[in-house]
Amino acid sequence: MKTQTLPRVLAISSLLFALSAQAHDPKEHMQNAEQADCTTMNDMDQTKMDMNDPITQAMMEKCKKEMSGMEGMSGMKGMSDAEEKAQDTAHEDDNSERHIDGGGSTKNHH
Amino acid sequence: MIERKAVSCGKCLLTAASIFIFGGAAFLYSGLYPMGADVPHNSLTYWVLETLRERSIAQAASDIEVPGDMDSPDRLLKGGGDYNDMCAGCHLKPGKTQSDFTMGLYPAPPNLSLDEDKQHHGSHDEGLDTLRQQFWTIKHGIKASGMPAWGPGHDDERIWNMVAFIKRLPDLSPDQYQIVTARGDVSEGNGH
Repeated sequence: MKTQTLPRVLAISSLLFALSAQAHDPKEHMQNAEQADCTTMNDMDQTKMDMNDPITQAMMEKCKKEMSGMEGMSGMKGMSDAEEKAQDTAHEDDNSERHIDGGGSTKNHH
Repeated sequence: MIERKAVSCGKCLLTAASIFIFGGAAFLYSGLYPMGADVPHNSLTYWVLETLRERSIAQAASDIEVPGDMDSPDRLLKGGGDYNDMCAGCHLKPGKTQSDFTMGLYPAPPNLSLDEDKQHHGSHDEGLDTLRQQFWTIKHGIKASGMPAWGPGHDDERIWNMVAFIKRLPDLSPDQYQIVTARGDVSEGNGH
């Protein structure tokens, strides 16, 4: 009897430990994840945005799909190269996703 | 004559030490010190606790090695999401000046969306010390302050991402903050 109980106790405690370790996984936060509002980038003063600034690069990375449809982003410093790169990446991502799941749902890139 | 003076001085010191110890113990057990967070410490207690905290963190964090890629946009994106979920309630975000936590906690948590720290830490070395201390504080927390230790559930890399984000937080506008901290992919909600 005791030999049967021990593995069960160990299995349950291992499961609880594994669940507690997952609790702070970033994926846990994705269930109610807020969407990035990339349309606000249109209202930003693009002449003050520098493509060499990590903040601008982070926003571009987050909004790269939206950016492919945006106009008036060419005012940013260093934008021409970055815009081409971002648009190329976005198109590549679109193509690869269409290729994988037949143009249906998109996937998380982060 | 000299021996008599030494004995007298020794007795005097012993008496003073006894009064200090028994007086302190009596005050401790009397329950007279106001412990509510809505009653500030007196200036001496505040100075003692603040100095103890600052010196302890500076000492403990002094040997921490800062990663070389703290300006990476990838760190900003990863750290931003965690900051928004775990820190913004107390340490605020661009456009917010207070929350229930900042009004109720004592001492009030610093508003990390403001540039105050940068003004105090001008040189490169002081800037690195700030990063080390922020990393240590996030990882280990601070006793009796409301600041939890995030180390048990978060690895060092994830904590450095938060430090990298906090470093640039004062530069963010509310709109930039929203974009950088949003965890969801824009394509998920916009019909792409």
